[in-house]
Amino acid sequence: MDLAKALKAIRRSIWVYHLNSGSCNACDIEVLDALTPYFDVERFGIKLVGSPRHADVVLFTGPVTRESLPKVVRALKAMPRPRLLLVLGSCGVGGGIWWDTYATIGGFSKLEEILREQGVEVDRVVYVPGCPVRPEAIIYGILVLLGLAEQKVREVEVHAPGG
Amino acid sequence: MSLVKILEIALRTGRVTRRYPVEEPLLTPEFRGSIEVDPSKCWGCGACTKVCPSNALTLTPSGKGLVLEYFVGRCVFCGMCAEVCPAKAITVTKKFELASKNLRDLRSRVVHEVLRCSVCGAPITAEAEVRAVVKVSPITEEYVALCPRCRKERFTKSVALRIGASSGPS
Repeated sequence: MDLAKALKAIRRSIWVYHLNSGSCNACDIEVLDALTPYFDVERFGIKLVGSPRHADVVLFTGPVTRESLPKVVRALKAMPRPRLLLVLGSCGVGGGIWWDTYATIGGFSKLEEILREQGVEVDRVVYVPGCPVRPEAIIYGILVLLGLAEQKVREVEVHAPGG
Repeated sequence: MSLVKILEIALRTGRVTRRYPVEEPLLTPEFRGSIEVDPSKCWGCGACTKVCPSNALTLTPSGKGLVLEYFVGRCVFCGMCAEVCPAKAITVTKKFELASKNLRDLRSRVVHEVLRCSVCGAPITAEAEVRAVVKVSPITEEYVALCPRCRKERFTKSVALRIGASSGPS
């Protein structure tokens, strides 16, 4: 799989599939918001589709509840390669408020391990924190995913001044 | 609704689309983005970690010292940490462009020096917190540099001396 070539092919107009894995619907409303005239992602050619088989990018929301886990794995299996994922919201990225409850598996990092066991390869993931994510943050996340914008956050470690 | 009517409304409203990557984002004054910890002000007391609903802020002792870690991927942007911070070290910024290709880049750390007990050498708290406490309360530097166990021992020894138990527990 030549990822660079595949990315070049879909750069112009990407079709997104919205996959809710048990989120509180705030991120889902923000996804809808990004499609409204105020942000209008269709000016980039981004279009919401109804099936993962048609999707270039999956907009993944929610902390992956136990109930939704098999359905999520099936939906991602159905997606064609390259599998590009945009993980939206605090729940998807790190589990959010529900990071250690029994009812969820705690975000995408845990799901990634399960997908690896199942033999489902994910080609590229971009994490977009926010609770809920802003529509602009979704647009920015897609730009980072496609390599059109530079990532702004870096790992920082500062020592507190002593004395 | 007739087309003429729709056209009239559309012309009256004009263009509402924010061309985001080119234009400014549509941020309200109340918007809360990621937080920033000022390392020169932070005490390392851990009040923010106690109040954080999603444990995005954690205070853990490690080999380097006392580490206050902020994982923005789990933050719910409630701003309670900024409210509770006694040193006013935490500010809520308007940053929202936090997209990252890996989870490692979403972490930021402030490493505090740990004050050790002057008698037994056990770690007590962050040095910065002790400095802040000495500033506001009448406590001697000698006493503040003792761990709770050594303080208790010293107190019982001094009491024993006053009530006349000359050969107390050594």
